[in-house]
Amino acid sequence: MTLEQVQQKRAAVLRPELRKDNGNAPATAALSIGRVGKSFSLNGSPREILRDVSFTVGKGEIVGVLGASGCGKSTLLRLIVGLDQDYSGRIAVSGEETRGLNRDVAMVFQDHRLFPWLTVAGNVGLALEALDLPGKEKADRIRHYVDLVGLSDYIDAYPKQLSGGMAQRAAIARALVSEPNILLMDEPFGALDSLLRLRLQDELLRIWDRNNVSIVVVTHDIEEALYLSDRVIVLEANPGRIHSVIDVGLDRPRLRDDPHIVSLKRQCLELVLDPPARITS
Amino acid sequence: MASVDLKTGVARDFGEPAPTAVWLRAQADRAGRLIARLLVASALPVALGLLWQVAADRAWVSAQVLPPPAWVLQTSLDLVSGGEIVSAVAISFTRIAYGLLIGASLGFLFGLLIGFSRRADQYFGATFRAIATVPSLGWLPILILLLGIDESLKIVILAKACFVPMAIGIAEGVRNIPPALKEVADVLALPPRTRFLKLTLPAIVPFFFTGLRLSTAQAFVSLIVVEMLAGTDGIGYLMVWGRTLFQLDIVIVGMLVVGVAGFLLDVLLRRLEAHFAAPELRHG
Repeated sequence: MTLEQVQQKRAAVLRPELRKDNGNAPATAALSIGRVGKSFSLNGSPREILRDVSFTVGKGEIVGVLGASGCGKSTLLRLIVGLDQDYSGRIAVSGEETRGLNRDVAMVFQDHRLFPWLTVAGNVGLALEALDLPGKEKADRIRHYVDLVGLSDYIDAYPKQLSGGMAQRAAIARALVSEPNILLMDEPFGALDSLLRLRLQDELLRIWDRNNVSIVVVTHDIEEALYLSDRVIVLEANPGRIHSVIDVGLDRPRLRDDPHIVSLKRQCLELVLDPPARITS
Repeated sequence: MASVDLKTGVARDFGEPAPTAVWLRAQADRAGRLIARLLVASALPVALGLLWQVAADRAWVSAQVLPPPAWVLQTSLDLVSGGEIVSAVAISFTRIAYGLLIGASLGFLFGLLIGFSRRADQYFGATFRAIATVPSLGWLPILILLLGIDESLKIVILAKACFVPMAIGIAEGVRNIPPALKEVADVLALPPRTRFLKLTLPAIVPFFFTGLRLSTAQAFVSLIVVEMLAGTDGIGYLMVWGRTLFQLDIVIVGMLVVGVAGFLLDVLLRRLEAHFAAPELRHG
């Protein structure tokens, strides 16, 4: 890296301007969210969960969604994956508007959600049931993705026999085996201890590097968001809306203690802990 | 990564094979524990038997009413060698088998229906629960008029007795499928067949076995009573016949047979359940 490049990166500072793209994202975007809002009524009184959320995810981009609990981050993922179809605004995958379940979008939950009565291979294979693959190719794909997450020795193990980290890896393999364009992750490493979390973050980046899948990762871990993402979207709560978008703009592999990340982290902390009045330039 | 023996599971020690001496000691320990458990479990029956013997010896109750154990033993040997017991047991068990097969299968299907479909539950649920609260034998008078006292009467009564617990168990099981796993099935867009085979069925296995055990127990109760009230054969009839002849030893033999058979059946079903409910043993 030349000194000039380094300086350029250092110059890429927090960009707190609100992204107001009105859903007319370029067709090349893997995912585009246009003015999405969500509310439901709680004991008769309406409650707004998400308001006017717009952003795009480029092909092969990793976007982090950061926010305190209750800001609607998980709801946002549920809307994108199609588990909840009752929202306003539009969601487009690869330029095509979609509402409901979409085969191009896969999801990893915070808990591994493996079927306890199926082996790792059986669980991973579930994601191929909807595709009409010949048996041989199906088995090959399963083995490939189980290898990719480093579980080859455990392909016939049942979830009970796996540690938490291994189970989450199996869940990642299950999400990737159908080769989706977009991978949504809802606090994927939130239930793991911190050392394991660091290791799985690196593994995720390694897998991403080979697959070129676009990732939206929801987290409340600032370091995780900054380490993984190209851009970090900071949500504020009540109702959940985009506060600011941070361009991390560093090449990978990154250093966790890269001065740039450290300085972004400080700013993120301020944003999350003590959100200033929204800057509307 | 540490290697884990997948056949035996992580909990089992792995690495060095256990020396034979250790293995033998383990087997001896197991046998010892089994014997101890049998002793504990048989303490009460033995005590009751002794009490019975003493009561007969001291003539606390007349031998006509409570025949001594020796009589009962003799009678049971006679009934076995004469073939009465065997044919009665065969007849009664055939009825239970038919009742279970018909009642439990229909209950299974009906349980799926009201478990999955809220609308079906709204239509049929109330009627079903109302019918379920009337004991099977409450149906006997009207069913005797409708069906006579033939085989069909017994099968219908038994099928009804088996239907209710199975339907309730399965409906409960369907409603208890973990929502987290249902969401996964949604996200993975599982085809209906796969969803049924790999999510619904495995998830309701424990409920199925509870339903099956309750169904079997209900079938036994109803069987004996229906054979006593409206039968010409079977164990229940044998017992009524014994009572009419004032041969209470025959009645006691019948009670013993029913008790032992019910106990064995329950043990068998528990074994099956333990086998099928252990995720490690099931294949997807």
